[in-house]
Formats: sequence, structure tokens, C-alpha cells
Amino acid sequence: MNVFTHHNKKRLLHFFVIAMLLLSVMVFRLFYIMVVRSKYYGEAAVAIQERERSIKAPRGLIYDRNGVILAGNKAVCSISVIHSRITDEEKVIKELSERLDMDEAVVRKKVAKVSSREKIKSNVDKDVADEIRDLDLAGVMVDDDYKRYYPYSELASKVIGFTGADNQGIVGIEVEYDKVLMGTNGSINTLTDANGIEIPGAAENRKEPVMGDNLVLTLDVNIQMYIEQAAMKVMKEKNANRVCVIVMNPQNGEIYGMADVPGYNLNEPFKYNKSDKTTNEVTQDDLNNMWRNFCINDTYEPGSTFKIVTATSALEEGVVGLEDSFYCPGYKLVGDRRIKCHKTVGHGSETFKQGIMNSCNPVFMEVGARVGAKSFYDNMKKLGLFEKTGVDLPGEANSIFHKLENVGEVELATMSFGQSFQITPLQLVRAVSAVVNGGTLVTPHFGKYITDSNNNIISELKYDRKNGVIKNETSETMKYLLKAVVDEGSGKNAYIEGYSIGGKTATSEKLPRSSNKYISSFIGFAPAENPVVLTLIMIDEPEGVYYGGTIAAPVVGDIYNNILPYLGIEKEETEETKESKHE
Amino acid sequence: MGRTKSRRTIKNSLWVKGGYMDYQSIFLIFVIVLFGLMMVYSASSYRAITYGFPGTYFMKRQAVFAMIGFVIMYIVSRVNYRFLSDYSVVLIYIAIALLAYVLILGRASHGATRWIQVGPMQIQPSEIAKPLIIIYMADACVKKSKYLNSIKGIFNIVLLPLICIGLIAVENLSTAIVCFAIVVAILFVASPKLFNLIVLGIVGFIAAAVLALGVGYRSDRFDAWKHPETSKYGFQTIQSLYAIGSGGFFGRGLGNSIQKLGFLPESHNDMIFSVICEELGLFGALVVITLFVLLIFRFKFIADGAVDSFGGFIITGVITHVAVQLIVNIGVVTNTIPPTGVTLPFISYGGTSLVFMLAEIGLVLSVSRQMSLTEQ
Repeated sequence: MNVFTHHNKKRLLHFFVIAMLLLSVMVFRLFYIMVVRSKYYGEAAVAIQERERSIKAPRGLIYDRNGVILAGNKAVCSISVIHSRITDEEKVIKELSERLDMDEAVVRKKVAKVSSREKIKSNVDKDVADEIRDLDLAGVMVDDDYKRYYPYSELASKVIGFTGADNQGIVGIEVEYDKVLMGTNGSINTLTDANGIEIPGAAENRKEPVMGDNLVLTLDVNIQMYIEQAAMKVMKEKNANRVCVIVMNPQNGEIYGMADVPGYNLNEPFKYNKSDKTTNEVTQDDLNNMWRNFCINDTYEPGSTFKIVTATSALEEGVVGLEDSFYCPGYKLVGDRRIKCHKTVGHGSETFKQGIMNSCNPVFMEVGARVGAKSFYDNMKKLGLFEKTGVDLPGEANSIFHKLENVGEVELATMSFGQSFQITPLQLVRAVSAVVNGGTLVTPHFGKYITDSNNNIISELKYDRKNGVIKNETSETMKYLLKAVVDEGSGKNAYIEGYSIGGKTATSEKLPRSSNKYISSFIGFAPAENPVVLTLIMIDEPEGVYYGGTIAAPVVGDIYNNILPYLGIEKEETEETKESKHE
Repeated sequence: MGRTKSRRTIKNSLWVKGGYMDYQSIFLIFVIVLFGLMMVYSASSYRAITYGFPGTYFMKRQAVFAMIGFVIMYIVSRVNYRFLSDYSVVLIYIAIALLAYVLILGRASHGATRWIQVGPMQIQPSEIAKPLIIIYMADACVKKSKYLNSIKGIFNIVLLPLICIGLIAVENLSTAIVCFAIVVAILFVASPKLFNLIVLGIVGFIAAAVLALGVGYRSDRFDAWKHPETSKYGFQTIQSLYAIGSGGFFGRGLGNSIQKLGFLPESHNDMIFSVICEELGLFGALVVITLFVLLIFRFKFIADGAVDSFGGFIITGVITHVAVQLIVNIGVVTNTIPPTGVTLPFISYGGTSLVFMLAEIGLVLSVSRQMSLTEQ
């Protein structure tokens, strides 16, 4: 009897139950994957399915202290093609090469390339891009982008610097404050198939870009323009290599202007600014030198302007009085060396005050010897000459001095009048600021505020100050002495009627000494009694007359004649005007 | 004595007229096949377009096979299944011949071939072998029922099916496993003693383990199973998990799978259940599983009412075929078991498989026609 027996049915039921149990395991697994682990697998899936297209964020703006834009953004576009979406290849090639002014073969190569996205050209002007957008060519993508734009092109080029293709800072303020200025790029996330082609109609996940913060500088466009003009003028007149000017408030370290001419066009930073080389010959070194800011990136022998530091040290140490008398025969014997004064016939008998006014080397050699190497170094240290100034620009150089133990009497003598060591121009400015501001070592700086896109101040930038590095009375004496230099001494060419100006000239012979190349400089401040502006000018390798007092001092006089009224500093009634009134 | 009488009359005729028609099974199978066509369309249209075909290409082909399958199902359901008992040995030899042919042909052309080209159609002998093994096993367990008492006897019964399975296993281990499960299930239901089966099971398990560990690429599958994210063979598994996991409870909505857009290989084939999960969520997956459970339950009901053990064993084989492929397929896409290529019955794209599975349903319906409802 071949009946499907009760035994068979029971076995089939057992089998059925086993199958259902196994199926339950699968259902449990499905529940685990689709509910418990759904988030994990879902996100992992999205990670492979999504393509991110970034939306560029505009970079923060750079303003001068008055709110004038020094670095802004220009809306540009980038044009790219998606090969698989192009329907009319020939038309795309023709239109793009014509409108973008590109070689047809180059465009053809890019259009023919089978890639998910091929960039044809970036930094395309908005109106050209809009024309292309209006053509509505299938497969051609027009994306908004921003390009840095510098309205004053060359102005303060060595300070501001420029940005690269991705709007990242390359040199200058742009790189120093890159994190502040850089915005946060937004993104559009779209789902794509396995070939990276966007799925039409899929929901976009859009993250808006956030513009970078703005930076307000201490720089003043008008002062900057004036010093650059003045620097260019004297550079041309004297056929000099370069002219550097720093204008700083010695009280707080705010830099109003910093020029190192010739500069370069920030909107075309890769275009060489000299005509001695063709485009092909210009090396990266040439460009680096063009972008270099001598005021902070290089060192030099300051020469006689450094006598301010020597005199300050002597006064601090109490080893000299203003009326101490000296005798200059035109040289001084130091050890076995005979070191000349710039006035080879000698200044004869003079007081310390007259020695400064005459910028007499033997006087300072004598004073330096009285101070002694150890104390001289201590005072230089107090004036910040062994450290970087801390200015908010990249690549600042540091000073080069003999080691203290290597300073013999000859070295000490030459250092007393500013030779046989190197400092940056800005280190000198900072040290002299401390001398004339009552003894506060400030940090020279450009950054003043960080503001948001509505120009509300987010934060005020703070800088180190060290009070009392020299005695107040030393500072007062130095101001008096340096005013005398301008009023009646070697710096009289910087004198302007109605203003009280202090300063010191220098003419330093470049190394090697036999080359007869000079750096003429002058450092001056006004008003002498309570200085609010301190200016250093350096003329590198002037031709013809090279004395600092003759060629550098008048430039500062000229600058002060213009910027002092601009800064709201009233002319004082001088002795002469007072007298004329009495009459 | 009406039962005996009717059995006699039926046994003499090849065609069965009238009788009971199990509309519940027919309804369930229609729903599953139509749902399968819809999912094949959803899962394959992207690939079809990529290949330069219209989006409906694979779906239309599958629909043609479904129609052929339904016609065959109807014809088979009209055939007196007991008539097959006389031909079971012939049928198993046909299966062996076809499998041997495709294997030799494949070797000759230096490639793995699983198909025989018949006009415009490619026929997979391994899919044909499944119903033939079912018929042979069901018949052998009836005719040689005394053999079931000894291990030697059981070996005698399974010898020819094992030859089939061996031939299949050379190229297609997963189908071999399904066929082996069918053989074991029919023996399990038919065998009066469990002990012999347990001995046989241990031997089978050891053989399977040697096979699985001995062959290099199969141990790669174990690696892909245990570490799908790092294994170089784990790509398909991982893409499947991404698809299933991103479905959540209600899914992305019909047609909205992203993974089918080139990420998930075999999306309309072995991996179609992943697409179902992604588009219809856990809810949709449970509905599909429920449809299968109802179908199997219905088959069990028919088996219980079968007028003879031959019919009961046939249904046991069909139930095993459907249930094992369902469980293994879901097991693979959920990475519960090592990856192996088994289709989801009635739903995965594939003509031969669909036609022959529907033919098996025809067998079940044929059994149901002679059901004696009164005996229940």
C-alpha cells in the first residue's frame, strides 16, 4: 500500500518546522540589518552613492584702517564639461573655444576626454560665463567662483601679498591671516549611479558656503600712497635699487604704512616687474625676490641710526652726561686699529650733545667703550634687538650679532656706530620706538580688528607690550637730543617749519667696503616731545650724493609735511612766528 | 470503496479531467510571479539601458518565460503524475546525459558552460535536473521502500541522483547543494528510521566540508563571508548589505533603489532580494517571505491530502526546492551564510529556472487534483 502515511506526514511537518525556523533566522537577520544596523549601512551606502560638488566660499575682505577695501573678491566662473552628457560635441568645442579665447585643439582634447568632469577654464569673467550659460549647451557646466581682486594693484604689495588658484594665501597678510580670511566652502551633495552620473530628480543636500572673516589693518591707504610716491620719486632721482619706508605709531606699534619699492601688481603677481628679463628667463627666485619685503625679510648694517641705541645705553648706564666733552681728531685708535670718523679732518672739541648732532664716530666709540660690551648687549636686549619683532607677516628675519664673548674693543667700537652686525629695518624701528615712547617695547603690527560680513567687530587683535625697558628720563633726554639733530645737526634736512621733529641720519657702506655702495637712511619721529609717528627710510645704493642727511632726511621731511596735518597734528608756533607776532 | 475505484480509473489515463483545483496555490504563484516581473523591471532597467537595450528588455523576456511557464504548469497539472512513475529512471538518465553533455561541451570550449543553446533559448540542464531528481527520488522511495531500512539500500536509492549532483557540483556548487537538500528531504520524509539518515548526513557533511575547504576559491568565499568589508571577494556582499540596510522599515519606494544603478552586481538576478529590501523596506521583505510561507504551507496541505506516497514525496521535493532556495538566497544577501549563487524562486531573472519551477508547481497541482478531501 503506497499511501502517504501518518509517519510521512509527521516527517514532512518536522521538515516544515525546520524550514520555518531557518526562515525565522533570516527574518531576524533582516530585522537586524534593516532596523538595528540601518543607520550604519544607510550612511555607508550614501558615502559611495553621493558625489560632492563644492561651492566656493568668498574670502574675507582686507580693509585699511579707514574701511577702504585693499583686497576684495571678484565674481568669476569656472567652465567644465561632462563628456557623457554632451549631445553636440562640435558645437560645444566651437562655442567654448571662441568665447573663452582658447585654442580649438586644446578645447577639443578636453571635451573628448571621458571623465566625470573636465575643467576647461577657471577665472572666466562673469559676463562671458553668463553668455555661455545662456547657450544652455548640454554637458557644459558653469560654476560660480571668486577671484581675489586688489583695487589698488601695486599699493602695499609687499605687505598684503596675494592668493593662489584655490584662493589660499601665498605671501604677506594673505597667508599670515589665511585662517581668518578663508571661508568655509559649501557643498551640493547629489546621488549618483556607480559611474558618478547624477541621478535626475534626486534630492540635493545643499550646504551653504560661509564667507571668511574680514580683516581691518592699521595701514592707512593715504599714508601708504604718499610714502610709495615719495619712495618712487627718490628711487628714480637717485637711480637706487630699492627704497624702503616704514611709518609706525611708536606708542602702540600700529604700522600706518610700509613700502618697499619697486612693488608688483597684486592682480598679476607672476608678472615680473623688471624689464631686464623676458618672461621665459624669469625664475622662481626672481619672483621670490620681487615678492620679498626688505623691511622685515632682510637684514642690513644700520650705520649711524644705531647711535641712538648706543647713546641710550650710555644714558641708561649713566656713563655720559650731555655736556661731557670729547675731542675728535678725525679718527680714533682702537687697539692696533685706526678707525676714521666720517669727517676725516675731525670735529675737534665737542660735547656729547654735539657729538650726536655731528654723528661723530670717535665720540660714540668712546661712549661705547665706557658702556662696555656686556652692558651694551644688555641694553640692546632690552630694546628687543635679539628677537624678532613679532610683526604679523610671514618670514621675518632675525638680527645677526657677534657673540658677546667674541666682542673685543674693535668690535665694540664699530658696533657703537652701527657696523659689524645686521638687523632688520623693522627691528630698528621697534627699538627706536621704545627709546622715544618712554620705554615701552611694542609689537609692530598690521592687524587691527577681525570683523564679520556686516563689519561688526568680532575681535580686536592684541599684541605684547613691555613697559619700562628703559628709564623714562633716558627717553626724554634722547628725544631732546634727537630733536637737536633735526633742528641744528646732521638731520636738518628733515626739518619742517612749525613741527617739532626728532631723528637721526645714517650712511652705511655696504659690504664689501671697497664696493662704494651705500645705504642712506634716516629715522625720524614727530612730534618730538610726544611722538605719534615714527618713520624710517632706507635708500639702497643711491647714485651720486649718498649721504643720509642729504638725500634720506628730506624725504621724511616731505612725508611729514603731508602726513602730519593728515594725522591731525597741529603746527606749533615756532620761535620765529612767536617773535613776528610780538613785533 | 469509492476511493480505490477512482484511483484505478485515474491510473489508467494519461490525462486527468476535472478534479480538485487548488486555487489558493494558483493565486499565490500568480502574485509571486507578477511581483517578480515588477521587481525584475525595477532592478534591471538601468542595466538594460547601459547595455543599449530598452529599459523593459529583461522584464519582457522574463514575462515571455513566465507565460511559457504558466502554460507548461497548466499542462503538467492536467497530466496524471503517477504516469511519470514508469519513466522516472529514464528521466534521471536524461538528466545525467544533459549534465554530462554540457560539462563536456564546456570543457571542450575551454570555458565553464551551464547552458545548452536551443534555438534562441539557453537552457540550463541543472535547472531541468531538479524536477527530474524529485520525480526519481519520489518514485524510488515508493518502489524501493524496503531499501530504506538499510544504509546500503539508501545508497542504492540515491546513487543516480548523486551522479547528477556530482556533475552539477563541478560547475555550480550552489545548485548541487539545493539538489542534495531535495534528496535528503525526500529520504527524511520517506525513511522509517532516522539512524540511517544520521549516518548518511554525517558522511554528506564531511564530504561537503572537504569540498568547501579543499577548493581555494570556496575558502575565499568563507573569507568574504566573515570579513566582507576587507575581503576582495566581499564586494557583492557589501553592496548587498548597503542596499538592504538603506531600505529601513518602508524602503526608498518602488523603483528608487540607488544600489541597482551599477553598485550592486546581479541586481536583477541573485541579488534581487536586496533591491526588494532597499525599495520596499523590511515591510516589503516580510510580505514577500509571507507569500512564500503561505505557498509552502499550502503545498504541505496538498501533500497531507495526497492519495499516495509518490505524490507526497513529489511535493516534499518541491517544497524543499522552494524553501531551500528562498532560505539560501536570503542567507546570502544578508551575509548570514557564505556567498553562493542561488536565485530567489519565481522572482530572480532567469528563464529556465522560472519555467521548470512552474512545471514543478504543475506537478503539485496534478497531485492536488486527486486529493481526497474527505480523508482530511
